[in-house]
Amino acid sequence: MNEGIQTVQQLMEAQHYVTDRAIATTVFLAMELRKPVLIEGQAGVGKTEVAKVLSAALNTELIRLQCYEGLDANSALYEWNYPKQMLRIRMEESGERSVEEQEAVIFSRPFLLERPLLRAITAENTAPVLLIDEIDRADEEFEAFLLEVLSDFQVTIPELGTIRAVHRPYVVLTSNRTRELSDALKRRCLYLWIDYPSFEKEYQIIRAKVPGANERLAQQVAAFVQVVRSAKWGKMPGVAETLDWTMGLLALHSDHLDPQIVRETLGALFKDRDDLARLNRADLEGMLNELNGKVPQQWVTEATPRFQRELAPR
Amino acid sequence: MSRPRYRDLKRNLIQFCRLLRANELLLGPGEVADVLRAIETIDIGDREDVRLSIRSIATSKPEDFPIYDALFEYFWGRQMEMEDGRGEDGGPRLGEQQAKQQTKVNLNLDPDKSPDSPPDSEDEESLPVYSPIEVLAQKDFSSFRAEELTEIARATLIVARRLALRPSRRYRPARRGGRIDLRRTMRGAVKFGGTPVLLARKRRKIRKPKLVLICDVSRSMDSYSRFLLQFIYALQNTLGRVESYVFSTSLHRVTNYFRSSDIYDALERIAREVPDWSGGTRIGYSLSIFLEKYLDVLDQRTVVIVLSDGLDTGDPELLEKAMEELQGRSARVIWLNPLLGSSDYRPLARGMASALPHVDLFAPAHNLASLEALGRQLVGRAR
Repeated sequence: MNEGIQTVQQLMEAQHYVTDRAIATTVFLAMELRKPVLIEGQAGVGKTEVAKVLSAALNTELIRLQCYEGLDANSALYEWNYPKQMLRIRMEESGERSVEEQEAVIFSRPFLLERPLLRAITAENTAPVLLIDEIDRADEEFEAFLLEVLSDFQVTIPELGTIRAVHRPYVVLTSNRTRELSDALKRRCLYLWIDYPSFEKEYQIIRAKVPGANERLAQQVAAFVQVVRSAKWGKMPGVAETLDWTMGLLALHSDHLDPQIVRETLGALFKDRDDLARLNRADLEGMLNELNGKVPQQWVTEATPRFQRELAPR
Repeated sequence: MSRPRYRDLKRNLIQFCRLLRANELLLGPGEVADVLRAIETIDIGDREDVRLSIRSIATSKPEDFPIYDALFEYFWGRQMEMEDGRGEDGGPRLGEQQAKQQTKVNLNLDPDKSPDSPPDSEDEESLPVYSPIEVLAQKDFSSFRAEELTEIARATLIVARRLALRPSRRYRPARRGGRIDLRRTMRGAVKFGGTPVLLARKRRKIRKPKLVLICDVSRSMDSYSRFLLQFIYALQNTLGRVESYVFSTSLHRVTNYFRSSDIYDALERIAREVPDWSGGTRIGYSLSIFLEKYLDVLDQRTVVIVLSDGLDTGDPELLEKAMEELQGRSARVIWLNPLLGSSDYRPLARGMASALPHVDLFAPAHNLASLEALGRQLVGRAR
């Protein structure tokens, strides 16, 4: 493996983020080629986390733009602080300044509200990490506007002139695939798909994030979640849920999966009433007693098909 | 390993990019340049690094991965081995058949052939077809396998959401975005002695079309009704103002069943509680029952969608009269007919022929692409 990729992997792991090779390679390339990364994947697999970890690893600022329906250029780029401008005009009403002088004052930097995109461009010390979260929730027009900003990293404010990026930011976009993004945007970005982790990876994530969990508990949790994910759910439990659940189990001083405690804590794993009802109908006791007597990874292969059948929607 | 000749590598990389492009992966000249730059930064002796690097540049959705991996294997499979030893003329030749068969992917292995050009006749052996959404979109609903359902559910949701996002002429107050609401701004200025310090904003309301869906679940529709019901389910859960009915020999209101948050539950309950599921078809009679019992759900802004193949065994006159009234009392009547998907279908069935004059839009509904087209039409034209 290339040294650079290895370094990235180590940097991310130092931040307690368990990577795999695909993630490390893409992040490395994003830094080398200075291209934006588009990360897609199911909810709760750690898409946003990549940006956070990247900024921590590079020891630089993380600037986040959360997208939503109706997000427009104003709220993403900059706005004039209109109330402040109004008040200044009022204060100066009896003053001696000429109109031109007044204009120069109220359209200067102190009256500018920098929104995330502009902040990313004007960051002074180091290149920041710009996280554009859930881009699929923004409108298509916003996507087009974003494309323009991402290609030039410069912004023209009529009253102030053109502002060029001092340091080109590292850009991370995430999407939950609720709509298809435009080809132009997809082409411009490196693509990374993060899937639900494998047993091995999830086990490592639990160990890294919940240090209090012992090996046995971590393995059993990882195994149980693997098997559960093989069925279809209204809200599939993501890695975040796995970690919540593990912490919940720890708080109850469990060192292995006890059927009684599992039933009581399932709310940390499943957030949908119908899902919970379906799971509660299943023979969890049988499953878990079996799990307690076996090597977890082996149990995953054996139990998956049975569980899938048992939990299939009737 | 001997030092690879960079020029040859570059040429091969460009050739590989052309091959990827011929298989509809998104690569412009800029991306080809990126591939070349990427290769300089990584260890080209490490096959996995090379594969993952080019993959992150060349692909843009998970469905691309199997195609990419198969092409990578095909193109570089032998290439890499050769660089170790014999070198020279390492033309990309892993048996074409092998590459295709290994992967269950319909590949175009000739970079000079555009993706749209018809396949060579010799290539036209019956290969298992890869099914990303583009392929699914054209596939007739009656030929779906169970595991493709998830993909359909996802796509119908996208269609339904597109339907839901229709801006109305009216505005509503907004906290941010949109435009400045002068009226409320002036009002707010009163307390600052006439200076509009706070700007009020407004945004266009989203107007959801009011829909009435009437779905045929008679025997002749068996292979389609499940998917159409899934479509209804997606619509109802996204749009809110949807009334749905099913019929075969008689009509039943099923709106409430679809309120369940689980589609399978909903389907099962409907199948259990609708007595004549998969029975005969009496469209005219069923529609007249609808007009008799549920007339109050119709108004001049309601779009009525009938999903049926129009193979009526009842009285065509009854159907014609019902359709006439339906059209008169609603904004638009759309008839979706799965049979319209086959090119040799003509709406000659007696029932269909008598209903047709009273239908505003007669459209196919046999696959995803047709449902998507409907989504666009509803957005563009609904009154």
